[in-house]
Amino acid sequence: MEKKPKDQNIKAPLSISDADIFAAMKDISGYLDITPADLKELYLAAYRHARERLTSSLKAKDIMTREVALVYPDTPLAQVAEIMAQRDIAGVPVVDTEGQVVGVISEKDFLGHMGSTEIKNFMGLVAQCLKEKGCKAMGIRGKTAADLMTSPAVTVGENTPIMELANIMKEKAINRLPVTDSRGRLVGIISRADILTSMYQNI
Amino acid sequence: MSFWQKLSGSTQSPPRVSLSEIVWSWLGSFLGIAAVAYINYKIFAGTDLVMLVGSFGASALLIYGANKSPFAQPRNLLGGHLLSAIIGVGTYQILPQHPWLAAPLAVATSIAAMHVTRTLHPPGGATALIAVMGDAKIHALGFFYVVMPVGVGAAIMLLIALVVNNIPKNRSYPQYWF
Repeated sequence: MEKKPKDQNIKAPLSISDADIFAAMKDISGYLDITPADLKELYLAAYRHARERLTSSLKAKDIMTREVALVYPDTPLAQVAEIMAQRDIAGVPVVDTEGQVVGVISEKDFLGHMGSTEIKNFMGLVAQCLKEKGCKAMGIRGKTAADLMTSPAVTVGENTPIMELANIMKEKAINRLPVTDSRGRLVGIISRADILTSMYQNI
Repeated sequence: MSFWQKLSGSTQSPPRVSLSEIVWSWLGSFLGIAAVAYINYKIFAGTDLVMLVGSFGASALLIYGANKSPFAQPRNLLGGHLLSAIIGVGTYQILPQHPWLAAPLAVATSIAAMHVTRTLHPPGGATALIAVMGDAKIHALGFFYVVMPVGVGAAIMLLIALVVNNIPKNRSYPQYWF
């Protein structure tokens, strides 16, 4: 079994200071028969327990969006862009006819194919459009989702704990994770916002 | 942490309580000790009976001045005093000729017994010690010392704590009974 970290090493979300603890003790009327150091240790240990309980109980299937906008590898890029614009989303999973996730296509994938130099964000595109007379979307006209998508996609299972979801997003620097069932078929998607919302509601 | 680091301490002392807290602590302690002292000096005057023992002063601090502490809860107040009184009297009766040994035995054993029974109440240590070193009047009580002054006295102080500590809006007592 993995050894638990010592209480002193736990990181609270906001590092709680001794002054915070002292101030909290002052807020409570009546004499508290405990030193600020003990109280802090207790707080951090209780926080760790709460976090473990909440993060192991909240899973991908509990927080994912089930109505997923999706495209197919042969969907024309114009239609992909239209779907993303209509749904006001920055990326969609690309699935094959059996529902298997074969890739993800996002704003970044579009931007990466739209200029002579590499463009990383919307303002980069604006800058290039203004400097170089006209915009470069024409270069990818006629192409399909399969041409631009990032593949293979990083996907997660339905029972992945929320903490792991957050770690994957951070490590892979991605903003959305398609959720697949045991057969690899798309069942939902999780965005950074979904994680933030559920953390806010539950932790 | 090295020995010297440990010696230097690791935190600050808790904050001072509010003025109202101090006033209620004073009032509770005054009334609690007044009750047992009055019985001891006025009603029991001229008898062999006792109602006041030194350890009640320490109990007063806890139940009126730090009433949220686990030490101050009814289980601890009554359990700690009663257990320690039994151990104190027993130790004295086994070793009446060796008070230097009976004293530490009584105190250490009562602390251990309070730990085991989760009735830690610091004044209990004094209650045990008083049973050993007490004056002739205390010694003459024998095991009745457990009933009175210790049991009855602690109960009277508890009753007053139950009333006084529940009058102010931001105080309540007990945190738990047993």
